[in-house]
Amino acid sequence: MSNKVMTYKAMKRREMLTAYAFILPTFVGFVIFIVGPMLASFAISLFDWNMLTPPRFIGLANFQQLFNDSRIGAVYLTTFKLAFMIVPTNMILGLSLAVLLDRKMPGLVRSFFKVSFFFPFVVSAVAVSIIWTFMFHRDLGPFNYYLGLLGIDRIPWLNSSTYSPFAIMIADVWRNVGFYVLVFLGGMQAIPRDFYEAAEVDGASVWKQFRHITLPLLSPTILFLTVISVIGALQIFEQPQILTNGGPGDATRTIVLYLYEQGFRFFDMATPLRLRSHCL
Amino acid sequence: MATQAAAQNTEAVKLQKRRKPIPWGTIFTLMILGVGALLMIAPFMWIISAAFGKTTEVFVLPPRWFPQNPSLENFEEVFNQVPYHLFMFNSVKLAVIVTIGQLITCSMAAFAFARLQFPGKNILFVILLSSLMIPGQITIVPLFILVRNLGLYNTHLALILPGLINPFGVFLLRQYFVTIPTELEDAARVDGANVFTIYWRIILPLSGPVLTTLAILTFVGMWNAYFFPLIMINSPQLQVITVGLTLLRGQYGAGALGPIAAALTMAIVPVLIVFLLLQKYIIRSVVSTGLKT
Repeated sequence: MSNKVMTYKAMKRREMLTAYAFILPTFVGFVIFIVGPMLASFAISLFDWNMLTPPRFIGLANFQQLFNDSRIGAVYLTTFKLAFMIVPTNMILGLSLAVLLDRKMPGLVRSFFKVSFFFPFVVSAVAVSIIWTFMFHRDLGPFNYYLGLLGIDRIPWLNSSTYSPFAIMIADVWRNVGFYVLVFLGGMQAIPRDFYEAAEVDGASVWKQFRHITLPLLSPTILFLTVISVIGALQIFEQPQILTNGGPGDATRTIVLYLYEQGFRFFDMATPLRLRSHCL
Repeated sequence: MATQAAAQNTEAVKLQKRRKPIPWGTIFTLMILGVGALLMIAPFMWIISAAFGKTTEVFVLPPRWFPQNPSLENFEEVFNQVPYHLFMFNSVKLAVIVTIGQLITCSMAAFAFARLQFPGKNILFVILLSSLMIPGQITIVPLFILVRNLGLYNTHLALILPGLINPFGVFLLRQYFVTIPTELEDAARVDGANVFTIYWRIILPLSGPVLTTLAILTFVGMWNAYFFPLIMINSPQLQVITVGLTLLRGQYGAGALGPIAAALTMAIVPVLIVFLLLQKYIIRSVVSTGLKT
C-alpha cells in the first residue's frame, strides 16, 4: 500500500521535472531577452550614460530633462496626431469594405477581392513604403498624375509639413486596411443569419439591421481591432523613416523614429530609455 | 398578327424584367470593390513593369502598367550595386531557422502549460502573458547592449536567439492543446507511454492547423522584420532583404526607379507566389489571431 503511494508520488515528481524541462527553453530566453532588458531599462534610466563613458547615477534627473526637451513634446504630439488619423481611417474603411464584401456575390469574386485587399499586408512595410515614395513623387509619380487628371494641382506629398502626415497615413492604410477588412468580415460571418431574417420579417431597413444587429454583435471585434491598431500606430516606424525621414522638420518624426535616431545614430542611450519609461 | 405577337413578346419581356429587377445594389457594390482592388493591385503592376523596363526609360508619364521593350538591365544593375542574392539568402535562412525553432520552443512550453501539472504553473503563465502588454521597443536598448556584451552584435544569432521566444505563440498553441480530448493520452499512458511520447506522437500530430498558423505568422513576421536587423546587423553580407532595399535606395536617392523597382520585384514576387498558393491558410492564420480573443 505505502509502496504504491510512493510510486504515485514518484510519478508526480517525474511529471513535474519533465514539465520544467519543457518550459525551460522558453523561460531561459524569456528571462534573458525580455525580463532582463526590461528591468535594465528602468535601472539605466536613472543613470547618465552614453555607452562610451561609465554610467553615472543621476536619479530622476533624466525624467526632468525629458520634460525640458522641447522636441520630445513635438514628437509625442506628432505620433498621437498620426495615430488619430490612421486608426479611424483603417477602422471605418475596413468596416465599410467588409460590409460590401459580406453582400451576396459569387464565391470566386469574393475570394478575388479578399486576396487583392489582403496582399499588401503580407508585403513588408519597408517595401510598401519604398513603393509609395515613388508613387508620391511630386513631378513623376502616378499619384499626382491621376490627381492631375481630376483637376488637382501637383501636391508635394513628402516635402510639405501639411501633406506629409497624409502621405504616411495613405501608405499605412493602403498596406493594413485588408487586415481590418478580413477580421471584420470574419466577425460578421459569425453572426447567425436568422437574426437578419427575423429583422427583415419585422420590416427593419438595411441601415437598422446594421445599426442594431451587426454593430452590437461586432463590438468584441471592434474593441480588439481598436486596441491593436492604436498600439500599432503609436509604434509606427518604417513609413515615416523611409517616406519622409521624419521631416520636413519634425512634421512626421514619431516616438520610435526619434528613439532610433537618438539611441542608434547619435549614441545617446538615455534619451530612448527616458522616452520609453515615460511611455509606461 | 405580327404586331400582336411582338406586343405579347414585349409583354413577356416586361414580365421577365419585373421578376428579375436589375440588381443595382450588387452592381454598385462590385464597382466600389473593383475600384478598391484596382488601387491595391495597380502600384505593384507599376513597380513590376518599371523593373522590366530599360534603366533609362522608366518614370514616364502617363504611368505604364505593363512593361514595354522588356529587359533585364535593372536586375543586373541591382547585383552590380549590392549583394542582393546574399540579402535574399539571409532572409530565407533566418525566417526558416526562427520558424522551426519557434515551433519547437513554443510547442514544448505550450504542452507543459496545457497538459502537465507542476507548482507555479498558473503564475508562470500569467507572467509570460503579461509581457505581451509591453511594447517591444522598451527593451531594445538594453537588448542591444546585452547582445553586444555577449559578442553577438553583427551575427545572425543576435536575431535568431531572441526570435525563438514568443509568448504569443505559447499562448496560441496552449489554447489549442487544451481542446484536444484526453482519452488518447490516457490510453497511451496505460500502454506505458512517457510524457515526451505523448507530446511528440499524440499532441503534435493532432495540432496541424494551429502549428501551420504559428509557422505562417512567424515566417511572414521574420521575412518582413526591419527594426531588429537594422540595429543588430552591420555588415552588408549579413544583412536581410528589408534593410538591403533601403541600402540600395540609399545609393541612388529618389530618382532611380528602375533598379529599385527590380529589387522590390525580387522581394515581392516570391511572397506573391507563396501567398497565392497558400492564401486560404495565410488569411485564416492572420485573421484567426484577431478573432480568438
